[in-house]
Amino acid sequence: MVAQKITIEPVTRIEGHAKVTIRMNEAGKVDHAYLHVNEFRGFEKFCEGRMVFEMPLITPRICGICPVSHHLASAKAGDDILGATPPRPASLLRELMHMGQVVQSHGMHFFELGGPDLILGFDADPEIRNVAGLLAADAGLTVRAVNLRKWGQEIIRILGGRRIHPNFAIPGGVNKALTKEERAMILAGYDEAIETIKIGLKIMYDWAEKNAEDINKFAVLKSGYFGLVNEDDALELYDGKIRLIDSTGKQLEKFDPRNYLDYIAEHVENWSYLKFPYYKKMGFPQGVYRVGPLGRCNNSKSITTPLANEELKRFKALNGGKPVENTLHYHTARLIETMYAAEHVKVLLDDPDILSKDILNTCRNPKSSGVGVIEAPRGTLIHHYWMNENQQLTKVNLIVSTGHNNWAMSEAVDSVAKTYITGPEVPEGILNRVEAAIRAHDPCLSCSTHAVGQMPMIIEVKDSSDTIVKTIKRD
Amino acid sequence: MKTLVIGYGNLDRQDDGVAWHVLSKLMQEFGVEKPNDINIDFFNPKKDVHFLYQLQLLPELADELSDYDYAVFIDAHNGAMPSDVYFEQLSPIFTSSPLTHHLSANSLLSITNQIHHKYPKSILVSIRGFEFSFSQCLSSQTASLVSIAVEKIHEWMNNQGKD
Repeated sequence: MVAQKITIEPVTRIEGHAKVTIRMNEAGKVDHAYLHVNEFRGFEKFCEGRMVFEMPLITPRICGICPVSHHLASAKAGDDILGATPPRPASLLRELMHMGQVVQSHGMHFFELGGPDLILGFDADPEIRNVAGLLAADAGLTVRAVNLRKWGQEIIRILGGRRIHPNFAIPGGVNKALTKEERAMILAGYDEAIETIKIGLKIMYDWAEKNAEDINKFAVLKSGYFGLVNEDDALELYDGKIRLIDSTGKQLEKFDPRNYLDYIAEHVENWSYLKFPYYKKMGFPQGVYRVGPLGRCNNSKSITTPLANEELKRFKALNGGKPVENTLHYHTARLIETMYAAEHVKVLLDDPDILSKDILNTCRNPKSSGVGVIEAPRGTLIHHYWMNENQQLTKVNLIVSTGHNNWAMSEAVDSVAKTYITGPEVPEGILNRVEAAIRAHDPCLSCSTHAVGQMPMIIEVKDSSDTIVKTIKRD
Repeated sequence: MKTLVIGYGNLDRQDDGVAWHVLSKLMQEFGVEKPNDINIDFFNPKKDVHFLYQLQLLPELADELSDYDYAVFIDAHNGAMPSDVYFEQLSPIFTSSPLTHHLSANSLLSITNQIHHKYPKSILVSIRGFEFSFSQCLSSQTASLVSIAVEKIHEWMNNQGKD
């Protein structure tokens, strides 16, 4: 049999787009599958020369899905470089906005992007395997899901003052206090949000019980886990220390995020523009790690809110207290974090400082570089700025969550392809599983540009001489 | 008859933000001052027209859409459409995007219809983009298409409610 290569790729590519190549051997089995990300770091150059205080307004434009994460990471880098620690009420308000972002982003992923695979089935007709199919199957659930996301967006709008490009966090604090009326508006949606997340968790666990075989053979990977924690090693999404554990759960490091360059290095492969971050001391690939919901739930010993903490205990029991290695449990971890974010909204709103007008520290003690780190929905987001004496940026380094998970996504694609593809004829449901291996990480590959964000995919089957023998297009 | 005119795209990625420029010009033709900010969210009660700009379409817009009789979606395309200023009557048909968060206008109408059992009569006006680098200035080729798009939208809006 002639060796073949199957390529899944978008028709057009610009920053951050990806393709999958599945190389078949002569026996008709998968030899190796690759995820190629064609990343172009143009945004960092674009920011050079801008004033540091402008950055919280500029960087949200990187992404239409998680602008708040960039907004807040940028403001934190601004706090650091200008030596302007925000007053406590400002940090609470930033965190409140961040929780809104986590709820809307995670909610959208589970119910609208990843959920259809689980609720309707990997092998369901692709015509109905989407949110519209979900609506037809369970309209009540889908309306709840839309309302959950809307609640998160409303928190962002109330604080940010507008629908897009929030103008809220600035170095040293925020520029708007919360009113009693706004607090009440947010609280009004709390109970329904909690109920919806509980339904999501029940769906996830019911599905996991019925599909244990799939879960246990679908990209089960050994890796380290990386993310922010608080002083007690509890889950932290806004501020804390970075904790890194190995595949057995043993802590390797716990460090100030400002020092990330002492711990992380980036490996280069000739088949991807996106680098592969890894833990320096262990080298590549031994030092690879995963970020995002699975990384954080494995990395955290507990969660500070009661319902999410109970769910975390259940999650940890899945692998007897050791890190959960199954890629499909990214979905479970995502829902646990959604629960935490929703519960934490109430914790923040109940804090006596939340209505304070003490929201900006105008003192400045500038230095030449500063780092802002936040846990974006997809994983750890690092903004690192260097500036001159005029407070103009001379260098910018952004490490985004999707970059941290590059190894994980690549390995997941390879593992799923090898597990499920048994010959050159790839059924749609199997192709969907390969895509789901990427989708589980909720990568942000194409958000910055709408026109090329549609990413139709082409699957090319090539023989050993690189001649295309079959083309399948998916819109 | 209430109309929503919604543009979407990334204004900072050059031609990807062409919808903002179209929306801005259209608003001026409706006697509204040119917006000086990316955020456009303006209701003109005299004409019953709401102008809105978004980075991208999002599912929760379904609730808002259900309140309108007509909707005009304005976006950019990269040459995949049959013409530089592509005009299409939309239907509530869902198409999924397997790896991204992209939501099409048809898909949004589908969600609107399924949740609210109604949707506005809608068109898509998609304008060809040629350059997608980091800039807020349109390429000359795309800039030349803005007036054509505005004219098409105006014509369509004027013809609604006559039949």
